[in-house]
Amino acid sequence: MQYELIGLLMFSSMMLMLFTGQRMFGAIGAVAAVAAITLWGVGGSDIPFSSAIKLMKWYPLLTLPMFIFMGYVLSESKIADDLYKMFHVWMGPLNGGLAIGTIGLMVLVSAMNGLSVAGMAIGATIALPELLKRGYDKRMVTGVVQAGSSLGILVPPSVVLVLYAMIARQPVGQLWLAGLIPGLIMAAMFVIYIAVRCKINPSLGPALPVEERNISTREKLRLLSAGMLPLGIFAAMMVPFVNGWTSLVEASAVGAMAAFLAAILKGRMSYKVLEASVRQTLAISCMFMWIILAALAFGAVFDGLGAVKAIEYLFTEQMGLNPWIILIMMQLSFLIMGTFLDDTAMLVIVAPLFVPLVAALGFNLIWYGVLYTITTQIAYMTPPFGYNLFLMRAMAPPEITMRDIYQSILPFVLIMVLALAMMMAFPEIVLWLPNYVYGN
Amino acid sequence: MIQFARRYIHIVDTVNRRLGRVMMYSIFVMVGILLWSSISKTFFLPSLWTLEIAQFAMVAYYILGGPYSIQLGANVRMDLFYSGWTTRKKAQVDAITVLFLIFYLGVMLYSGWDSLSYSLKYGERSPTAWRPYLWPIKLTMCIGLFLMLLQAISELIKDIATIKGVKL
Repeated sequence: MQYELIGLLMFSSMMLMLFTGQRMFGAIGAVAAVAAITLWGVGGSDIPFSSAIKLMKWYPLLTLPMFIFMGYVLSESKIADDLYKMFHVWMGPLNGGLAIGTIGLMVLVSAMNGLSVAGMAIGATIALPELLKRGYDKRMVTGVVQAGSSLGILVPPSVVLVLYAMIARQPVGQLWLAGLIPGLIMAAMFVIYIAVRCKINPSLGPALPVEERNISTREKLRLLSAGMLPLGIFAAMMVPFVNGWTSLVEASAVGAMAAFLAAILKGRMSYKVLEASVRQTLAISCMFMWIILAALAFGAVFDGLGAVKAIEYLFTEQMGLNPWIILIMMQLSFLIMGTFLDDTAMLVIVAPLFVPLVAALGFNLIWYGVLYTITTQIAYMTPPFGYNLFLMRAMAPPEITMRDIYQSILPFVLIMVLALAMMMAFPEIVLWLPNYVYGN
Repeated sequence: MIQFARRYIHIVDTVNRRLGRVMMYSIFVMVGILLWSSISKTFFLPSLWTLEIAQFAMVAYYILGGPYSIQLGANVRMDLFYSGWTTRKKAQVDAITVLFLIFYLGVMLYSGWDSLSYSLKYGERSPTAWRPYLWPIKLTMCIGLFLMLLQAISELIKDIATIKGVKL
């Protein structure tokens, strides 16, 4: 049988297994194990276990539990409440100011953890009820929280970029720096969108009434100091790393410790919070690790087949396509897959297929990492199957229906697609900072 | 038979839960090792052992914590169809597909055992400056995989019980 066909067979049997609803790592791992043994006999049976050894030797993976822990400490201990109050007081007098402040809050939360879950939890449980109480349009603010929290995987530290780095064999530090400016640009685009819409139609985001604005300057300044906390945690983590005093992994441990100490100092660390944070960290870390383990085995079999080479040959030689057209086709198919594939599945299944192809076409893999992350972000948010949509449903106040959630994200998805197109057209936006810092 | 199933589930679930509850706090061990690594690098001589000990700790963390994460229901499923099914239908499909999971874990345990006995026989060491023996971590991995296998079988028994309508 031809290698492309075997590859196709593996891929479709994995999809079939995934649709049965078995635990994802079991579905992927079983297909890998069966394929390896069928192809290479007893020698092939070593592939699943040797991917566990490969996983152990991949040092940057240690950042994963650290950043997940950070995120859970932040959301469980509710130290972000003060942050929200700061934005509330300072941005409230503007039309749409609280929504803009929520984007700011999300950027700060993103800088302290590597997933979008923490941002989502903080946004949906703290910001959203306040915004609704102040008469903000529920469709707009639901979109704001979802779009804002998705920045968590683009602004450093980012767990998605750590995983991408592992698959693409690229340095994590450069990838993180590459994600920073696009993340801020996207946040700015969200802010502009909110400001313009509220300017045209102030009833979408009414300014705070005068009596609520009457807060002493002293109190205002005190609240401003709440903003120092995330900046402090971020600095404690990034300064030693960028200066080369600590490695990336050590910096993540410093960050985890800083978040933990901050929660203790603020008097928010009870046994309940501690137990919930470490338990959920274990659960989510195990979920990721076991899926990566299975996906590595799958990828190893796939590599062994040389299926990617065959696909590349088909596109470039036989069909004579321009690399850019292939890249755009890949992003489009990625977006379409994202609407019905689970986010974790996308991360571990699609990347091993796409990344070697992108490299073979001669594109910069750091740049592609950012494109990849933005596409994942969009996939997180597009109906019918978006991780963020379901999280939102679980966390949002009851007056927000699934229909509101679906409708709310549309403008933000369009903004993100626009941002994606910008990054594709002008790679300098992405590559300038890492090149500047690492003096390439 | 039911008596046996009950006892099996009780023992396996209890052992794995207790182990998982201990392992979940070992996140602090990892934080500690990494902090020591950065402190020693800045103020004294860099420690040789921190990198590998941290890696071993991470592997122990997720392999030994794995069975507990199954109990917590943390392992994501693709629930496009799954979420719409009744509990009985879920159990029926799971009872079949969990066999694939068991197969995968079995293959891993088999070659893990091979790899462990090789390490023991030849005293295999890691090819780094610190040169630790590799058998302790491989033994940990084998134990973890074995417990994972036991947990998967426990899930299978629970599914069968749901299908038959037996209360365990």
